[in-house]
Amino acid sequence: MIAIGENAPDFTLKDQFGRDITLGQFKGRRHVMLLFYPLDFTPT
Amino acid sequence: MEALQERFLAANTQVLGVSIDSIYCHLNWAMSLGGISFPLLADFHPKGAAAVAYGLYLEDAGITDRATVIIDADGVVRHVSSVTPSGKRDIAELAALCEEVNEAHENTLKSFPDPPGLEADTVLFVRSNCMFSTNAVAALGNLHIDTIPVRNVSEDPAALADLEALAAKGQAPCLVVGNSAMHEAADIMKYFADRTTDIGG
Repeated sequence: MIAIGENAPDFTLKDQFGRDITLGQFKGRRHVMLLFYPLDFTPT
Repeated sequence: MEALQERFLAANTQVLGVSIDSIYCHLNWAMSLGGISFPLLADFHPKGAAAVAYGLYLEDAGITDRATVIIDADGVVRHVSSVTPSGKRDIAELAALCEEVNEAHENTLKSFPDPPGLEADTVLFVRSNCMFSTNAVAALGNLHIDTIPVRNVSEDPAALADLEALAAKGQAPCLVVGNSAMHEAADIMKYFADRTTDIGG
């Protein structure tokens, strides 16, 4: 598990609308909360 | 979840869901929850790569852990926790953590430009029993857009006649905006999201 204080690894992934979303696009603008979850159709 | 988004946004926090499902699975699942406008990311190819990078991929089970990572606007990890795949997150506690992270940054953040919104003369033409039409309508539902007409050319001959007059071919789905016609469902979905949410740029 990644540790507090580490730089978050960047990623580019497609969202449900087909857009490329990159962690870096939020830098200086917003904090980010990543909700990792096992599979769709389970609780978030 | 969607209602809680506002509390996170008030703390300048972008919520991003991440799992190994495809974008179409996300699109339909989100609809079953009443529509989710924040990004659900497909950690799909290669499978679980983002989860692996964060040490949250459970190799043996071939799934991602149910875990939460809060990253501040400088790109530094400020919180990480797992509730195990079968556990339940404490959303109120996470919101409080985000508010705490935000207190240190609040005055230094730049906002995103406002999205342009949809043009007044936008019409979506769809067909029955068509996966692409269903996806385009699901994108509208997830973004909570109810201001544009959706016309079914399979059920309504007038809609088909209008579509044939507006676009050279009577093929649906088709998004008509003024004089231009867009036929690819993938382009239509992206267009709706870019026009109505502020994180596209």
